[in-house]
Amino acid sequence: MNKIESPEESRKLLDKIVFDLTRSIVKKDELTRFWFFFLIIFAGVGLWGWIIQFHHGLGVTGMRDYVSWGLYIANFVFFVAVSLVGLLISSVLQLLKISWAKPVSRAAEQIAIAAVALAGIIIVMDMGRPDRLLNVFLHGRFASPIVWDLTVVSTYLAISVLLFYIPLIPDLAIMRDRMGSELPKWKMQLYTVLALGWKGNDRQYKTVYHALRILMILIIPVGLSIHTVTSWLFAATLRPGWDSTIFGPYFVVGAFVAGTAAVIILMYVYRIRYGLHEYFEDLHFDKMGRLLVLMSLVYLYFNINEFMVPVYKMKQAEGVHLSELFSGGYAFLFWFVQIVGLVLPILLIRLKFFRKPLPLTLIAVVVLLSAWFKRYLIVIPTLEHPFLPVQNVPEHFHHYEPTSIEVMIMLFSFFASILIISVLAKLFPVITIWEYAEEKGIDKKYFTEKPKN
Amino acid sequence: MNRKWSYIPVVLLMSCAHLVLGQDWVIPEAESAVSNPSPYTLDNVKAGKDLYTVNCKSCHGDPGKNNPLGLIPIPVDVASDKMHLNSEGALFYKITNGKGIMPPFEGSISEDDRWKLVNFIQNFKPGGEVLLVDAPAVKAKLLASVNEQNSTVEILAETEGENSAFTSLVNAPVIISSKKAFGNIEIGRTTTNENGRAEYVIPADAIGDEEGYLNIVVSLNDDYEAKEVYLEKARVGKMKEVPKLIKSEVLWSTNDNVSLWLLLSYIMFAGGAWAVIGYVIYQVIKIRKYSKL
Repeated sequence: MNKIESPEESRKLLDKIVFDLTRSIVKKDELTRFWFFFLIIFAGVGLWGWIIQFHHGLGVTGMRDYVSWGLYIANFVFFVAVSLVGLLISSVLQLLKISWAKPVSRAAEQIAIAAVALAGIIIVMDMGRPDRLLNVFLHGRFASPIVWDLTVVSTYLAISVLLFYIPLIPDLAIMRDRMGSELPKWKMQLYTVLALGWKGNDRQYKTVYHALRILMILIIPVGLSIHTVTSWLFAATLRPGWDSTIFGPYFVVGAFVAGTAAVIILMYVYRIRYGLHEYFEDLHFDKMGRLLVLMSLVYLYFNINEFMVPVYKMKQAEGVHLSELFSGGYAFLFWFVQIVGLVLPILLIRLKFFRKPLPLTLIAVVVLLSAWFKRYLIVIPTLEHPFLPVQNVPEHFHHYEPTSIEVMIMLFSFFASILIISVLAKLFPVITIWEYAEEKGIDKKYFTEKPKN
Repeated sequence: MNRKWSYIPVVLLMSCAHLVLGQDWVIPEAESAVSNPSPYTLDNVKAGKDLYTVNCKSCHGDPGKNNPLGLIPIPVDVASDKMHLNSEGALFYKITNGKGIMPPFEGSISEDDRWKLVNFIQNFKPGGEVLLVDAPAVKAKLLASVNEQNSTVEILAETEGENSAFTSLVNAPVIISSKKAFGNIEIGRTTTNENGRAEYVIPADAIGDEEGYLNIVVSLNDDYEAKEVYLEKARVGKMKEVPKLIKSEVLWSTNDNVSLWLLLSYIMFAGGAWAVIGYVIYQVIKIRKYSKL
């Protein structure tokens, strides 16, 4: 970090940074309106599906006696997985003082908040009697992994919101001081309230650093446990495919793969949509690509371990499950996820060309998609192969197929999470202004200066 | 996939049945020639009938009514000609050893009793001497009440005699049962006296519902055609013990069962995390305070 001495230069550069990074908030065009219209309509349609389900009960889903966890739980695991990237990028990489990760941090935190909030909502949507949700808190049993899951999801959401909010405070003050006519009044009022009367004195900065450091350390055990506990929902049973001691780390690494892919996509969208080419540079994509390869390699290792050991033993029930995955009805999906979603990205991203923004983003889309299917493969095939033979039940109990209502509700979760990210991007800068400016060598004292004009 | 496989046992069974059908049941000459050591008397036939009802009737059906179970091969009616082509020794041999779906009874019915079953089959031999004739069920009428003070069921049984006059039913077996969710469970039996009356004391350990109510059913045996008496909600039983975990509305089970180490780990982790979150929120409040400096 080389300090810029001249006040003129500092002010000029700061003006430019603030102008660029608040473009997402100020920009107001047809496309933005259409985007929100589109998201709200589709999320609304999905919500309508939930109202139907609420009226008629879970019978409208494809879930029956044997497959009692369907699309919803697969989707829940996916969202919890994606949310974990907040831990990786805004905590682990920051604590390691990896400077390129700083601008990416807020995008990762946006994804974390949206995903973990939706994970909580999806669980409620999977309940037959959501009106009895409170009973989980009132009568929940501490020996139940479901209560643990509820605890860690809410804890992680709280930490993610704080981790999003605290570095935002100085930014809010900058916007409060520098913007005005171009924004509606309610937005300015919001900034004023949330900025907590920020003055930018030493003690305030010290408190911000102190609080951030604590949060970054706290989010590591909580973040790891959120996905570990989610994996325990499965691993605490004896069922073939779930009864595994490595499910915790296996899920965590898989989550990092999915989350990194999600951040790459979001970075690319911001870069194109808000013209942030100088902020989300090629370097960032290059580094994120390398991170994705690293995570995918570890995940590949876990996958080999997770399948190699049971395949070697081929225990009776496990054997039925595995042959269904390897050569049965799920074979196409399974090999697609493993080869196109894992091995191919590793091979491709190693080449420099594929670490350029557009190719990397396309690969990230495939990785994210197969991450979703991977969760489907974890949840459903196991339930279709219970230890005791499936008998004396109607034919449609044997296999699980999601109904249109389930697909509607799943689409709701996608659109609602994108909606949360869009609203956050519309309200707050997508890169931390003050951190970025400081990185460029601008002294803190200029941040709180009122512009002359 | 499951459906495809479910055909296999059926096909297997049918092919087995074919094998059985395709062969005659050959009895060794010596076994076939053995004569019945059990004399053909009314008592032995009656004993054979009881054995038949318990062990054979479910497949072979009622004698002469041609109502066997639809198995392959179809169980032969004991009153049919085909049955009586067998000698007594052959019948005994078949009961003893079984074949295909006809189980062997060597281990479950004593030799003496198996011969009594042969006695019973002989009762239906065409042209043979019939010892046991089933009398038509006697029309009867039952009256019963329960005395909650001394847990006694009082019964009066009558039969409709000539001139439509009711006379008391003497020496008739009365069955006392309790009505449960999936049918009646017998509590005990008693017999009517010369006045057609009977008393039955409900045992102290008879279990009722949660409040100790018992739904009592009083009936006569199959020899009588009488409407059973249903005594609803008699407070004569023991209260049914309800396990605690259902009594208090707790999901799945109860927190009393949580292991201490698990509870402590949970509290330490969740409590610790939220304490730190609380501390961070306090820092946010401090940031606000410092802006007044």
